[in-house]
Amino acid sequence: MKINKFKKLIATVGATALISSGLVVAVAAPAQAADPVCVTDSNAGTITCNGTLSTGAAYRTIVPNSFDGTFFFWQHGIRPSYPYPGYVPPRSVEQMAPAGAVDTSKDMLRRGYGLAAFDCSTGGLHGWNTADCVEMLNELITITKARISIKKTVVYGSSMAGAVLTPFMDKYPDAADAVGLLAAVTPTIDNQLKSGCDLFYIFSVFFDPTIKGCAVMGTKGVPGHMAVLGDFAKVAALLTQWSVDLGSKPLAYPAPLVGSGIPQRSALLLAGLIAGIPTKSSHMDGISTSALIPEQSINGTVAILENAQEFLGTAYFGGQAVSEVVGAGFYDNTKTDFAALLSDADLGRFNLGLSGDDAINAMLGMLAMSPRVTGDATALAKIAALDKSKTDTNKPVILLSNEADRLVLPGNTTLYLKRAMATYETRLAAWQKEIDAAKSVADISKLLKSKPVWNTVAMYAMTPETYTTFTATGAPNLTATAAPSGVGHERFTKEQLLTWVHLLAKSAKSGKVPGRNSLSSYLERTPYLNTDLDYQATELKYED
Amino acid sequence: MNAVNLRKPLILTVVASALVGSLTISSVSASAAGDPGISATEIVLGMQLPETGPASPGYNKVDDAARAYFDYVNSKGGINGRNIKLVVKDDTYKAGLTISTASKLINEDKIFAFFGSIGTQTHVSVIKDINRRKIPDIFVNSGYSGFYTDPKKYPTTFGGLGTYTVEAKILGKYLQEKHPDKKIGILYQSDDFGRNAMAGLITSGLKFEAKKTAASFIAGTQGSLGLVSQMSQLKANGVEVVIIAAVSSATAVAYATANAVGYKPEKWAVISVGADATTFQTILGARKVPLATSAAMLAGTISASHAPAPGDEEDEYVKAFKKINDEFNTGADKRWDNNVMQGMNIAYLATAALMGADKKKKLTRAKLIKYLENKGSKLSSAAFSPLAYSKTTHEAFTGYWIGEYDAATVLQPVDGKRVVYTTDSANGPVTVSKYERPAISADALPKVA
Repeated sequence: MKINKFKKLIATVGATALISSGLVVAVAAPAQAADPVCVTDSNAGTITCNGTLSTGAAYRTIVPNSFDGTFFFWQHGIRPSYPYPGYVPPRSVEQMAPAGAVDTSKDMLRRGYGLAAFDCSTGGLHGWNTADCVEMLNELITITKARISIKKTVVYGSSMAGAVLTPFMDKYPDAADAVGLLAAVTPTIDNQLKSGCDLFYIFSVFFDPTIKGCAVMGTKGVPGHMAVLGDFAKVAALLTQWSVDLGSKPLAYPAPLVGSGIPQRSALLLAGLIAGIPTKSSHMDGISTSALIPEQSINGTVAILENAQEFLGTAYFGGQAVSEVVGAGFYDNTKTDFAALLSDADLGRFNLGLSGDDAINAMLGMLAMSPRVTGDATALAKIAALDKSKTDTNKPVILLSNEADRLVLPGNTTLYLKRAMATYETRLAAWQKEIDAAKSVADISKLLKSKPVWNTVAMYAMTPETYTTFTATGAPNLTATAAPSGVGHERFTKEQLLTWVHLLAKSAKSGKVPGRNSLSSYLERTPYLNTDLDYQATELKYED
Repeated sequence: MNAVNLRKPLILTVVASALVGSLTISSVSASAAGDPGISATEIVLGMQLPETGPASPGYNKVDDAARAYFDYVNSKGGINGRNIKLVVKDDTYKAGLTISTASKLINEDKIFAFFGSIGTQTHVSVIKDINRRKIPDIFVNSGYSGFYTDPKKYPTTFGGLGTYTVEAKILGKYLQEKHPDKKIGILYQSDDFGRNAMAGLITSGLKFEAKKTAASFIAGTQGSLGLVSQMSQLKANGVEVVIIAAVSSATAVAYATANAVGYKPEKWAVISVGADATTFQTILGARKVPLATSAAMLAGTISASHAPAPGDEEDEYVKAFKKINDEFNTGADKRWDNNVMQGMNIAYLATAALMGADKKKKLTRAKLIKYLENKGSKLSSAAFSPLAYSKTTHEAFTGYWIGEYDAATVLQPVDGKRVVYTTDSANGPVTVSKYERPAISADALPKVA
């Protein structure tokens, strides 16, 4: 079996050399924002302005001749601070609108929307600088509104942007008329980081006791980055091996399980299920079988493998970025009940892939008795407080996630929805109390105008039912065309993104998310968007 | 402030309720126009089961049997004029397909309720979501007690079989009394089904020793890997009575494997869902075992049943259901057996429940669930035990009788007399049931007060 993406993965290990050669350059921030430099493109029918915010971060606005008054402000996802092969930290605006595999900016301009984006960097560095992004976004909106007549403002962004936009709406509740969260962390990364750290910890128990996982993170700057790279390389080596043998070799660690006959594949599956890694991936649908993949749970295991290879780099560097904010020791599993993190549904569905009850009990028993990671109280408190939000904006919020996002798990969207619903219900109950206490029709009429409105919509890009293809030998074809929808991170079709954007503009204008019938018609017209309005993605393992 | 001032005028309450109500519905509720799957002419039910694939033999007859009964009901006017439509999805016993086909049943077929879905491993993948959506999930063809004994966890799910624990407790007690001096062992599949049955057997007082008198296999591997090591283990440990807690395909493989390794236990005892005679013979037939041989292999096997044996030609329910099966079953294989009997019986019960919940023609999902909790235990069927449904449990039948397969593959009551035992899924005692099954009406339609 051949997994091309592993090449890129492993190549990143070579970053050590680049970093140690001193390529990292910090850029000093100017004291105040300069006036933008604007250029008119008569062919494109746009005016593009480039400027810098007071922090020195670059921003850009593009306004079409057909500008309809709706302005979209884009917040990008996480950008590592340090270069490595195949990646150079941005020094200017690199993304004007939702992108990924497709670019939507031209379509958005054609629709008459104004676009703004900025490079959220702090002193030339990026990382998990969400609190700075909140202020920069506010500054960008403020100066753009001062320059351009804007009727409706939409703030939207992807991935880490959830941890920017959600607190942003807490702090500046009237700065925007609608909020778009794309494959977004919503809003704290703490929940998902715990699962990522659990994954690395379980790897250390079953595959390589020298893996430190999240315990390696926390040293600031280049030395910390290098330490992470070293650990990353160990996990990458394991994934590379499994890409060849599909984890069929028996466990070589820990000592009590050596000779048990449990294949590494089963421990990988267990780790993935406990961490909540999707059992569908770009090429594996979790269902299809072949001579070499004779059972659906093995398909799911290969999906976890494929997802892990894509997840790995971002998890390590994302975790390191967070640790630079909260400090070392943000992970603590001294009280974690790993058995409880394996759901009934997964235990039933994947019993065969996990090698049956005896193997499951042996592995969970091993996890229960293995030495745990003790965190640092200060770092734990900081990460628990990181990017917290009341999730109580009354502006329209529209989320779009992939059913099997391998990085920002779709459970983030589920969690946002739950919290928004809890807030809404609390408001509704309070309002109902006021109605009950009203003493006149006039009072009631007045109160009816302030009735809380459920103003959140979660949309999902779904996968086809099956899409795995196999080579002539029965091996999964991981170089085939990936699933057309529902997999990967920030990977959506242009139609899906433009539907999302259109609904955001529409909601910004009306102040309300579309009703169920209207929403249904949009979802049904857009291939692979969920037509099931009550669909709910798998919940996160931690919902603190 | 006096009491009078606190009292809101009636007119205000009415105005507020009307306005608030309309706003609430338009903003969040999906069911303003009534529950999906129910119209003036139709009630749509959805079933998931392995129509194809290794787990399908036998189980793939349940839907045709149920549909035959519903078609019969429809021919008699349906439920207050509404026909019952059964939509079936083949999940091939792959949980991934169970998830996607459940979504199709909900969103494309717009079902009113899930009905009779088959498979513990598969149903566990969707039960949480079905319950989150408050969709009735009735007469599930799984005996896994974990689905039913905590209605707070799964409030919309109701069993269609007795739990494996109840059956195993009754079977375990019988075996200990009948074979007190024999070494009793078990072959079980290591999943919720096997573990549930094992728990019941242990509660009954049986003891097993892992890797000696208890042999397990991973569900789904019996076909590809066979059960040689398991059968050899039981043989080597001198197990004289072998209990099987596994699906029918595994039972058949176990018998064939025991034969191949020269293991001849004195007695086999099989949990009922793995002991269907036609399935057993079909699977062995695929391995070139002649019918006469497979019948001889099954003869003498102990099993349990909550309902009459399909071969009990004198039973009034068997007679009635068999007639309906002959006339209405359009499935590929309508041979009368346990699976057909079960499909008919749960369709009969579902009809009764729909009738009971549809008073004043105002059937809703919530009313169906409420009806089953409050009145379900009063519904009768072919079973020799009432449904145990209440607000505290959604277990189905709590009574079983013990039988032994004869040479004609008919399960006959042991000692010539059918005695129904009853117990619960916890630690309650096994006692003789006093339940007297009501007679079936002349038109074979349930009569609901």
